[in-house]
Amino acid sequence: MIDQIKTFVETDLLSGGSIATDDELLLSGLVDSLGVMRLVGFIETTFGVQVPARDMKLKNFRTIAAIVGYLEAKADA
Amino acid sequence: MNDSDLIHLALHRTAASTPDKPALRCDGTELTYGALADQASALAATLIELGIERGDRVGIWFDKSLRTPISIYGILQAGASYVPLDPGCPAARANAILSSAGCRALITQPGPNRNIPNAVEGLGLVTVIGAEAIVPGPSWAQALDASPAPTTPKGMGPDDRAYILFTSGSTGTPKGIEHTHASGLGYARMAADLYGLNATDRLSNASPAHFDMSTFDYFASALVGATTTVIPDPYLKMPASLADLIEDEALTVWYSVPLVLVQLLRFGDLGTRTFPLVRQVNFGGEPFVPKHLDALRPHFPNAQFSNAYGPTELNQCTYYHVPPEWSAEDGPLPIGAPCPGSEALILDDGEEVTQGAVGELVMTAPTMMRGYWNDDARNAEAFHIENGRPFYRTGDLVRTRADGALEYLGRADRQIKTRGFRVELDCVEDILARHADVVEVATFAVRVEEGLDLIGAAVVLAQETDTTAEALTIYAQSQLEHYAMPCRIDVMADFPRTHTDKIDRMQLARAFAPPPLAEISLR
Repeated sequence: MIDQIKTFVETDLLSGGSIATDDELLLSGLVDSLGVMRLVGFIETTFGVQVPARDMKLKNFRTIAAIVGYLEAKADA
Repeated sequence: MNDSDLIHLALHRTAASTPDKPALRCDGTELTYGALADQASALAATLIELGIERGDRVGIWFDKSLRTPISIYGILQAGASYVPLDPGCPAARANAILSSAGCRALITQPGPNRNIPNAVEGLGLVTVIGAEAIVPGPSWAQALDASPAPTTPKGMGPDDRAYILFTSGSTGTPKGIEHTHASGLGYARMAADLYGLNATDRLSNASPAHFDMSTFDYFASALVGATTTVIPDPYLKMPASLADLIEDEALTVWYSVPLVLVQLLRFGDLGTRTFPLVRQVNFGGEPFVPKHLDALRPHFPNAQFSNAYGPTELNQCTYYHVPPEWSAEDGPLPIGAPCPGSEALILDDGEEVTQGAVGELVMTAPTMMRGYWNDDARNAEAFHIENGRPFYRTGDLVRTRADGALEYLGRADRQIKTRGFRVELDCVEDILARHADVVEVATFAVRVEEGLDLIGAAVVLAQETDTTAEALTIYAQSQLEHYAMPCRIDVMADFPRTHTDKIDRMQLARAFAPPPLAEISLR
């Protein structure tokens, strides 16, 4: 899961740039608001989950590691 | 207040009278006025020690945080001008701006969005502060560990340059807009009065330092001793977290581009949530789509909403308080009246138009720039001289409504000729924006071949809508003259934005593949 997200972010959102899983993802020059929507679309399609607006919070999306934590918690719920 | 005042002296006055009052908050940390003044004084001393002199330029390049206002005030106190860069701009762009501004120093911070070595390459800076091990120089902590500098460098006055804001010129060369202590402070005073700021206010700082709206958040607040919450960029991309922040920080005065508020409305999970403590919501930078404003207002039940208008050359220069009885049915918001202390002319071919006629808005104000940095050619064209006084030509078309409010009609250069017809691109946008499922729209000229420009359109639609590009085309055909019809309407998930978060129409236009000539009906 973590590799799939990292690959999508690096390839599709950062045009080949690299980012560590605990780097801030949403800073200026990295993932913009268009990128956030593409990322959510990717997660919903790839992992078969729904990401409602109330879950679109920093604690869930600040880093790749946070996204994985969010998805794991969601799967356990 | 006196005529020899400087931006950072206002901070020091407030720090002397209310040292323990919180000046700034950011991500759970807080800085009092006393601490802010002390840190600015220490940073100024470090800069002076490293050779920075009155009139020098110092770049700042890091993600928005408490460091942003500390650096701004420290640079000003050293007698220098700050040159803010987009925190995540490409290294080549940073290098071009630092070089163009002739910066002698840079204050920065490492991050995955900044290539510092490439940005400073070949510039011969006297120092780079805060780059940690990446480029040699003092750390941020070392820079703040110095005995305070004097509050006023020798000979410094209100006509000294305070900051240079760079915008993308249409040719791609950076265009620097020079503001002085007088124009920056003139804006802070005017805005503090206009919106009745006082020491109990809690302001948002949503705008980055390279966007002039941030001067309200940093300078107007310090004049009155209010508290400003610096909002890190990630919050602006996670509207549900932003909604929590507005409440947790007990904000009373908001100022941002409309986009941030529209995102809050669409993705903030607002439901029936309200923000009763917010008393003033200001927005500017681009027009607010009326239906979104209508939908947003109930979430801020006690707020006065105000449209702020002004190109960076003038900072904010008109205002319009949205009347409580206003509704989206009334159409686009006017830009209102000239701000106190400013004067407006509406010109056509250099002559004032008759009452109610369309012309270019030309203004002078205490908030007006000194000029473009190092650009005599642009400065010669930028101003209209009226009775010996310079008025900035905004390039915006306006007319005066019957009630006296100025109505914004679009950019003079947003008027295109297509197949011999004159079309206001902003009017086409306005028509498309009226469609219930259209959230955002951008139109732009698309060159099919020399002498044949068509209109391209892109829209962002509401979530879970059945509306298609075809349906929108049919709707637009029912509203627009045939020559004003977009040759195609592209549906997008979101738009590319400029570094000040405006819709990047130039990028949209470049990415828009015009239809083959054979498929265009040339009526």
